[in-house]
Amino acid sequence: MESPIPTPDVRLDMSQCLRNLALSSPQQDAINALQTIYSYLDEGSQSPTTSLQRAEFRRSHFTRTLQVLVHNIQADWLHHLTAEQRSELWDGLFLCGPPEQALPVLMEGIGELRLGSNLDHLIGIMEKFLQRGRLSDLLWSYCLEGQSDSPQLRETLLARIVALPDLIANKLHHNNKPAFLPQQYYPQLAAGMLTALERTCKALKDGTSCSLVFVAQTLGKLCAQGHSGLVLATMSHRMSALTRTDMVWRRVCYKLLDNVPLRWIESVLTGLVQAVRGPDALGRIMGNLVLTNKTAQFVITHKLLLLQYKYETRVLRVILGYLAADKDRRPLLIKVLRSIAQAWANPSAVKHTPLEQQLYVSKILILCVSLLDDAELQELRSELLQCMLGGMHSHLDSNLDRVRRMGMVVGECLSSRMNVNGTKLTFQYEQDEETQEIVSLMTSMNMDESDLESEDGIIPPQEIPANSSTCSQPSQNESEMQPLKTDADSDLDSDDELTPYDMSADQEMNKVSPPRYLRDCLESLMCSEESERVELSLSVAEGLVRKNTFATKEISVQLTKVLLHMEDKYSIHGFLALRQAIMVALVVTDCIPVTEYLTTEFYSLDYSLRQRLDMLEVLAAAAQELSESTPGYTDTAVAPNLTSCSANNTAHWQQVVEKRIQAKTKRVSKGVTQPPLQAAANRYSPVAGYFFFPLLRNYDKPQVTFDLLGSDHLVLGRLIHTLGLFMYLAVNAPIAAQMGHALLDFVWALRYHADQMVRRGILFAVCSVFLAMPCQSLLVDLADQLFETRSWLADVAEGDLDADCRNLAVHCLVLMDKSLKKELQNPHARSIES
Amino acid sequence: MARPAPCPIYILRGAGGPINTLHFSCHGRDTPLLFSGSGKGAIHMWSLSIRRAERIVQGHSGSSVIWVNTVSSTDTLISQGRDMRVCLWDLGQGRSQLVDSLSTGSVGFCQCSMLETGSRTCLLAFAGQQTEEINIVELPSKTPVCTLVPDEKLGMVMCVKMWQPHSGGPVLLAGYEDGSLLLWDITQKSKLSQTKAHHEPVMCLTFDPEVQRGISGSSEKQLSSWILDRQNNLQLQDPVTLTNPGVSQLCIRGDGKLLASAGWDHRVRIFGWKHLRPLAVLQYHSDMVPSVAFSDHEDPRQRLLAAGSKDQRISLWSIYNEGPDTL
Repeated sequence: MESPIPTPDVRLDMSQCLRNLALSSPQQDAINALQTIYSYLDEGSQSPTTSLQRAEFRRSHFTRTLQVLVHNIQADWLHHLTAEQRSELWDGLFLCGPPEQALPVLMEGIGELRLGSNLDHLIGIMEKFLQRGRLSDLLWSYCLEGQSDSPQLRETLLARIVALPDLIANKLHHNNKPAFLPQQYYPQLAAGMLTALERTCKALKDGTSCSLVFVAQTLGKLCAQGHSGLVLATMSHRMSALTRTDMVWRRVCYKLLDNVPLRWIESVLTGLVQAVRGPDALGRIMGNLVLTNKTAQFVITHKLLLLQYKYETRVLRVILGYLAADKDRRPLLIKVLRSIAQAWANPSAVKHTPLEQQLYVSKILILCVSLLDDAELQELRSELLQCMLGGMHSHLDSNLDRVRRMGMVVGECLSSRMNVNGTKLTFQYEQDEETQEIVSLMTSMNMDESDLESEDGIIPPQEIPANSSTCSQPSQNESEMQPLKTDADSDLDSDDELTPYDMSADQEMNKVSPPRYLRDCLESLMCSEESERVELSLSVAEGLVRKNTFATKEISVQLTKVLLHMEDKYSIHGFLALRQAIMVALVVTDCIPVTEYLTTEFYSLDYSLRQRLDMLEVLAAAAQELSESTPGYTDTAVAPNLTSCSANNTAHWQQVVEKRIQAKTKRVSKGVTQPPLQAAANRYSPVAGYFFFPLLRNYDKPQVTFDLLGSDHLVLGRLIHTLGLFMYLAVNAPIAAQMGHALLDFVWALRYHADQMVRRGILFAVCSVFLAMPCQSLLVDLADQLFETRSWLADVAEGDLDADCRNLAVHCLVLMDKSLKKELQNPHARSIES
Repeated sequence: MARPAPCPIYILRGAGGPINTLHFSCHGRDTPLLFSGSGKGAIHMWSLSIRRAERIVQGHSGSSVIWVNTVSSTDTLISQGRDMRVCLWDLGQGRSQLVDSLSTGSVGFCQCSMLETGSRTCLLAFAGQQTEEINIVELPSKTPVCTLVPDEKLGMVMCVKMWQPHSGGPVLLAGYEDGSLLLWDITQKSKLSQTKAHHEPVMCLTFDPEVQRGISGSSEKQLSSWILDRQNNLQLQDPVTLTNPGVSQLCIRGDGKLLASAGWDHRVRIFGWKHLRPLAVLQYHSDMVPSVAFSDHEDPRQRLLAAGSKDQRISLWSIYNEGPDTL
């Protein structure tokens, strides 16, 4: 068999075999041909072929052979083979030959064949191919030697490997095999990559040089196509465990990441920082990649931190901890801190970036500061101080409660870390999850050590004592309980024989008897110096106002004036609520004069913002109450929310807006399912105009102390919201059409206001216009505005910074479409129009 | 379901002025007596069997009587008035005669405290002329025993209580204007212990030598309870919270089961003394109650509670007298 020139021999041999296979020759010939081909793959010692011949075959004939086989898959001889012969000779060729050639042919075959037994056959081979770890062999073969194939071929192969689940699923549709599902395939591929890396390590230790370019490309492409979660979850654990002790592994991991093409490095890194458990693991895997690779540096220090804001705090800890862990990387941490501090303090960022991003930046800032050591802190002190002061200013300026609170918390944390002359800032704010999270970032930095332990599957040592302590706790409790119990027992003999009398009559005493007439109330509110008299008058006045309408009408405006100017001199419990309740009762009882008074005063000189807000709140609550007189019409669940006087306007606001719109949207869709209503007069609809129009009159005339369109946008937002409420409550009132028209005109000029609160108010108002205005007048009166409003709403729904604004805009659009559709489908209305 | 709130068994009217102080004298007499001192300077001697004022003593030249007591061995009545005098009256055989008087020099409201030391002698402690000064004299000889003045400024003496511990000489507990309580050893003339029980002036205090425990009230909403440990240190315990602020007198029943508090809110509150559990709220009066007292009847079933109010009435109550031990 030995021949000096094997090349023509192999070629001849092969062409003979292939001819036998391609022409439907007798079965025995085909079998012989297959056996001959197989002998070229056989690496055993008693193989009839030489290694040169085998190499030749592998290099230039294997792909062709497989292509011929797949091409003739429906040949008669193949079906006459026994199952054993078939799996040994036919399938074996695919599974034993060079995997980088077998895979493309298999995929091509699968792509070309129709559903049927032949396709099933190829799929079966594919399954085995995966099961036997041929993917790992494939990757390894590329590690080992610089494969000489063309870049295009590599690209194709890469694409096939990465997209294999998609390709097969496209072919098989519902008959897909579990092995090809992404959840199985990608971890398997990751395991294959790990095996290839392991082999690389071994080879490196033996002194062979390897190339990781192809594995890195695979990894990059996988991550870029969005499979980073599955792949890196498998890989990062193993890698972090192995790199703990093995320096070669560290080198290999670093090389692997370094070899990832630049266009994919971002997705690999983002996947990696999310997959690793702690900053140390990231440091071991990545090494100093951020220092050598500019793209990696940009991604880690800039893109993940400053441009995106979707990552959870754990990831931030990992990234910043990684930067802080090595002295070479620490300058980067300081650089990050500088840019983050700038971003945090930037007043325009506070105004124009979404809240979530501001929270994200705040967290990073706190994390960075907590990672600095004292020397670095000293160095950066003046910059940080500058940032803190500027940032505090712009945060506290904001209208949004959350932004202010964020500023306060961050300010507190920064000042306590910097320790300026031993003093630190303290603010009064309500604790919530957000603030607690930010504060916790200052302290708990050493908690990820235990994470690291558990990531290798080692049970952290604390676990066991913790368990035992929880076990021992009850026993401790019991031992504590014991003496208590005996103590209680000894009690029994003495006090328990004395049964208590009924003590329910033991109430707090009031020294002064409550006033019986409203005029007395007014007098004591005006000039009493006794706190108890004032308190009693406040608490009974609402009842008196509602009880005696005639007496109330005589002094209603005067009492309103007194109440409006009243201050909580004696820190009376529930002062604001009481005062508001009385004023609401006054408006309800003597509607027109009091409303006129309040709406005029709203635009007059020398009121505080609080008083102006009070006026709006009172009017809103009163309108709400007036409109409620029709039983069963208004949503009762909403009512208490509106009338309650709350200190935190924002929460109150959002709730009301949210509930209201949801409740109403449902109602529209439900249509006629509501039972017929009892008729009762709506007390609001005849007076709606008194509430509404005076407030629209003077908004653009700035006063010395009150500039609605300028700095006082808090009141503006509230005003628009209140107007929206009046509009909404005026549903079915004859005046609603005019009101809607006026309101839309009013908000049009303000629709791109810089403040979120104002924009929310505007959107709420627009919502209520669509809810309350009769459909036909919507079309007739507002036809020219509707189109513009629509495009504006679409714009807001898409591009507004504030999530609430976007939601509201979507609601608006839905409402608008609904009422328009209803109107256009209504034949009666169409006839009117025509 | 709790029992309905109790009612008074009898009302004594006609005192002609606000009742400042009450004192029972029922032990070892055929007719149980109740003494009351009014804001108009009259001391009424009420017979509890006929429920009428048996005798009225006009002393202290019309100034308010703030404290009355009797020396049990003799028929002597001691009264203290706002005219800065303490008067001793002989009540024997229908007499009501001023026997002796001494000047205290105190313009405050601090009630005296009396401790019987022998068959005929007793000690009397009262606030002195100086702000923080407490004088103790022996009666009837009127010999000064000692003067107790604290080192630091504590404000006026508000209330004092003297008792004889099981071992050692008599001790005196005083409450001061700044809310402090001081325990004095009378024979050593030295301070034993000090604690700050209240933020406001101490209005009243009482002490039970049997359980070494006491309680004090002020114008606040809280009663402060404290114990005296073996080293004679005052230790504060959990306070008791009241519905309305202000307590003018506290009184422990002789059997150590009940504590009564006279409140500024017109009500008398009854607590179990052992655990200070609220038991009853006695509501009758229409004005502040400055005084409350338990009677010292020999038969525990006849024991009464008396409350004297600024509305010029004295209410008598029979409460928790039917314990299982008496049935």
